[in-house]
Amino acid sequence: MTDETPRPRGALPPGSTTPRWLLLLVPLLPVWGWALWATYPDGLAPTLVTGGVALLLILVAALLLGRRDRLIAEHRLQAEGTRAATEAFAEEHLPRLVEQLRAGDSADTVLHRMSSVDDPANAAVLRAVAEEISAAERRRAAAMAACATAAGRVQALTTTMLADLRQMQERYGDGSAGSDILGDLMQLDHTTAQTGRIADSIAILTGARSGRRWGRAIPMESILRGAMSRIGAYQRVRTHNVSSLAVAGFAAEGVIHALAEILDNAAKFSPPTAEVHVHVEEVQAGIAVMVEDGGLVMGEEALRRARLAVRSGLDITTISGTRLGLSVVGQLARRYGLEVSFRSSSRGGTAVVLLLPQRIIKPLPAPTAPRPTTVPDSSAPVPAASPNGPAPTAASANTVSPTGTAPLPRSENGLPMRRRGRTLAAAERTRPVPENTSPPTSAKGFGAFRSAVRGEGPTDSPKET
Amino acid sequence: MSPHRRESPDRLYVITSGRSSGADDSLDAVTLIVAESAPAPGMQSEHADILRLCVSPMAVVEIAAHLRLPVTVVRILLTDLIDTGRVTARHPAPAPSPAHPLASPDVLEKVLVALHKL
Repeated sequence: MTDETPRPRGALPPGSTTPRWLLLLVPLLPVWGWALWATYPDGLAPTLVTGGVALLLILVAALLLGRRDRLIAEHRLQAEGTRAATEAFAEEHLPRLVEQLRAGDSADTVLHRMSSVDDPANAAVLRAVAEEISAAERRRAAAMAACATAAGRVQALTTTMLADLRQMQERYGDGSAGSDILGDLMQLDHTTAQTGRIADSIAILTGARSGRRWGRAIPMESILRGAMSRIGAYQRVRTHNVSSLAVAGFAAEGVIHALAEILDNAAKFSPPTAEVHVHVEEVQAGIAVMVEDGGLVMGEEALRRARLAVRSGLDITTISGTRLGLSVVGQLARRYGLEVSFRSSSRGGTAVVLLLPQRIIKPLPAPTAPRPTTVPDSSAPVPAASPNGPAPTAASANTVSPTGTAPLPRSENGLPMRRRGRTLAAAERTRPVPENTSPPTSAKGFGAFRSAVRGEGPTDSPKET
Repeated sequence: MSPHRRESPDRLYVITSGRSSGADDSLDAVTLIVAESAPAPGMQSEHADILRLCVSPMAVVEIAAHLRLPVTVVRILLTDLIDTGRVTARHPAPAPSPAHPLASPDVLEKVLVALHKL
């Protein structure tokens, strides 16, 4: 393709200029004949000699000029060729070289493929550029790998710490020493969760995968709370969630992280007292999660930049250094097919809508709270505590009225049935709360009871690591 | 096998909105809780679960075991529900004390005499 530099347009073939110069001699011939005729008898010899010498000199001059012309044409041709070669070099060879180097080929391989560049200067430039870019690529890859490895280690550490902290919270949350230790542990937990988010962000930007993977679908409520738990100002976030759907396990971590970054942005860029509202809505295309803040309205330019940051999440060179969040969101959005859109909010701030596609949405797994397994009085004709599942429970629970004015359900023989616990509750309302004279029951003794209830399956053994 | 199997992304501080104390002090581990209303849609799932569990009276410690949450956290959640009137608590009968001498020697003797008379 580029083997032969094309001949420049309008260039004359070499050698064609010489006869043109010789034509200049033609008008001299009659003048010379006339001079011979006029000086015929006497001056024939001198005229002949003079004319001959002049003719000879002119001939020589013509030949020299012709040669010079040919040289000029040749040089011009050469110059054109060089120009074309340079053009091809700049517009084709160099970009191709850079592209192949960026794709991970070694400098030698790429240069071997570029052997069609025969101009030694261009070839030298190509070699120098190839080596430089190759070295830069190696440095970049090494830096990315180092970052990814470091982030991965921090991720693993935070995962372990979070599991340990949870265990400690369970242990000390049961004891009578409860609230103080639990509060401290919660604070540590919160800090660790935020550290984990930063490590996850670095891992995602360096091309590594998220730190966690959930083995089952995660309900939307847990997704929202997981995202809240990873930001500093989670207490300002208000969730409005009536969705009964869940996010598939493989995508749950990504969605949680993307949502955490969006929530963090919303909380950071709104006044420290303003609330951030999260609405979850099931739509035709999946689940729409809208995050609304009461902060500053983003201008057109800011919105454009935010959209750009999300869209070009993959390109690490566009990251400004301080605003990593949106790039992370962009990366995650590309990976899991999420759609992110920005608009101004009716609350006065900015609204971000995160659309989760159908393919990562699952129906909610089995009810989160297990039914009571022990029914104290199974002979009671009340179906309230039947362990058949949540549906009859919900239906029967509807008959419980907080005001107590609803008619009581009737049994087969027409007698009103009293719900267990109601009379007790009614009595409790009228009875004054007894003064707490007894020592409080030691909660420590119930640890065994709790673990016995929990230890229904072998999977609930405490963490071994 | 896998300790993370039942794990969820929820952290306890989010469940309690950052509170670690503030629970009703009278809520003992064996206080019985009775639901007074049905779970409403949009409720925090733990609250809804408690209302479902406490259709029949259930002790705080049992609720904690079923929800797999520490007792302190459950007490905070229950305090919320008690404050909004969705559950009521039945406190255990006070232990004998000088003010309530249920098990004083006099009472025991009277019981013994009554038993002998039977």
